[in-house]
Amino acid sequence: MKGLSGKRVVVTGGASGIGAATVERFLEEGARVAVIDQDDAGGRALRGRLPKLAGVIRADVADAAAVDGAFRELDRLLGGVDVAINNAGISLRHDFMDIRPAEWRKVMSVDLDGVFYVAQQAARRMLASAGGVILNMGSTSGMNGYPRYADYNAAKAGVIELTRTMALELAPTIRVIAVCPGYVWTAMQEAEYTPEMKAAVDAKIPLRRHATPGEIAALFAFLASDEAPYITGHPVIIDGGEIAGGLASR
Amino acid sequence: MKLKDRIAIITGATSGIGEASAILFAEEGARVTVTGRDDARGRKVVAAITAAGGAAIFVRADVRHTADCERIVAETLRAFGGRLDILFNNAGVFYPHNAIDCTEEEWDAQVDSSLKGAWLMSKYSLPTMIAQRRGVIINQASGWGIQGGDEAVAYCAAKGGLVVMTKALAIDHGKQGIRANCLCPGDVDTPMLAFDAEARRLDYADYMKGAANRPLGRVGTPSELARAALFLASDDSSFMTGAALVVDGGGIAD
Repeated sequence: MKGLSGKRVVVTGGASGIGAATVERFLEEGARVAVIDQDDAGGRALRGRLPKLAGVIRADVADAAAVDGAFRELDRLLGGVDVAINNAGISLRHDFMDIRPAEWRKVMSVDLDGVFYVAQQAARRMLASAGGVILNMGSTSGMNGYPRYADYNAAKAGVIELTRTMALELAPTIRVIAVCPGYVWTAMQEAEYTPEMKAAVDAKIPLRRHATPGEIAALFAFLASDEAPYITGHPVIIDGGEIAGGLASR
Repeated sequence: MKLKDRIAIITGATSGIGEASAILFAEEGARVTVTGRDDARGRKVVAAITAAGGAAIFVRADVRHTADCERIVAETLRAFGGRLDILFNNAGVFYPHNAIDCTEEEWDAQVDSSLKGAWLMSKYSLPTMIAQRRGVIINQASGWGIQGGDEAVAYCAAKGGLVVMTKALAIDHGKQGIRANCLCPGDVDTPMLAFDAEARRLDYADYMKGAANRPLGRVGTPSELARAALFLASDDSSFMTGAALVVDGGGIAD
């Protein structure tokens, strides 16, 4: 992808899953990459595996003060930021009637508050320099209904609308785009699924499979690059055709 | 090279986004069938590609007609070894009219070139793609296929139809290894804009100022749309299907 070489990139939740694949892809593209993650062991392992990584900053994105501190550390590591990838997220599986206020708050604090804190810190730096690109992790869950994830779905719908509004206010200096994946095969999914569960989900997806983390990383790379200078504001769905319709109801 | 040895058909490739895409796809290693109604311009695009060391043929055709679509696919298969990897349904025309002013001829021209043409080209391209277990269809829709626009009743109908037809193609042929996505541009600096300004009896400079009134503060370039099409054509978008990629400078986010 054109224009990623030398770019200063921060990836939240970069220690594992889609985040780690995104870190790898941007390093391959010649970018300078730092990670914000609260998983200390995962961060250390990533550093061992990817010696080119500029650094792993331990912080919880749900904590505004911690995010502020993380960006000061990021300034020391990279001297600013050109691309911010708001990837960190959590989900809890529970019925709407069983959601406790503390669980609701936990999901909102990471999936929506965290995106806001990180995006605002990143945007402040981008507005003061040559601009940049902010990519927020949405989800098809923020567009369609999925039982047992009411809080997560609401947070992701929030991310999509937050993204649109940021795009309008921060244009033309900063492009802001939500990436909306469907099912992605990560270690987290592997731990939760039986083979039967996976087959049932795959059957509902027109491409008949989950995404690899690398496929989501490739979309992040495209959107952050000079290949996509006219794209901002609109969510981009990457779901193997899942929410195009049809199969899920069969 | 992102499309090394891939075979691509691009309709409406004699100008604008189609021309830019044909040249870019060829630079990225694809062998390209350039199609359109204008013989002279089509041959010029092919000449530019071959002069740069690329491979391309021109097939003069009108995608509103079944026989022409069959011929585009047949000549492509004959020229490039029987394979077909990428179909970019880009052809389209635009007459700015509301429901009262739109003539039946204008309705048919817009709906048939954008929507029926994309279906016909898919119909004749898919069997080869399915046999290969690999193929990509890109449909040129529009931001006005998602939201409405002024004085564009048939155009909106055609482009909205394309957005949903793309999803239907994705559902039917995903399991056969086919991906189908659409591009949704806003205003792009192509001959279509000059034509639109004239048809609306607007001064071109004023018209372009209005078209640039969007978050990124400018109209798009054919090259920007071609690069988005390249992404959708390449393996970098291997999990994307049924999607609408909006490339409009934030136009419809507002």
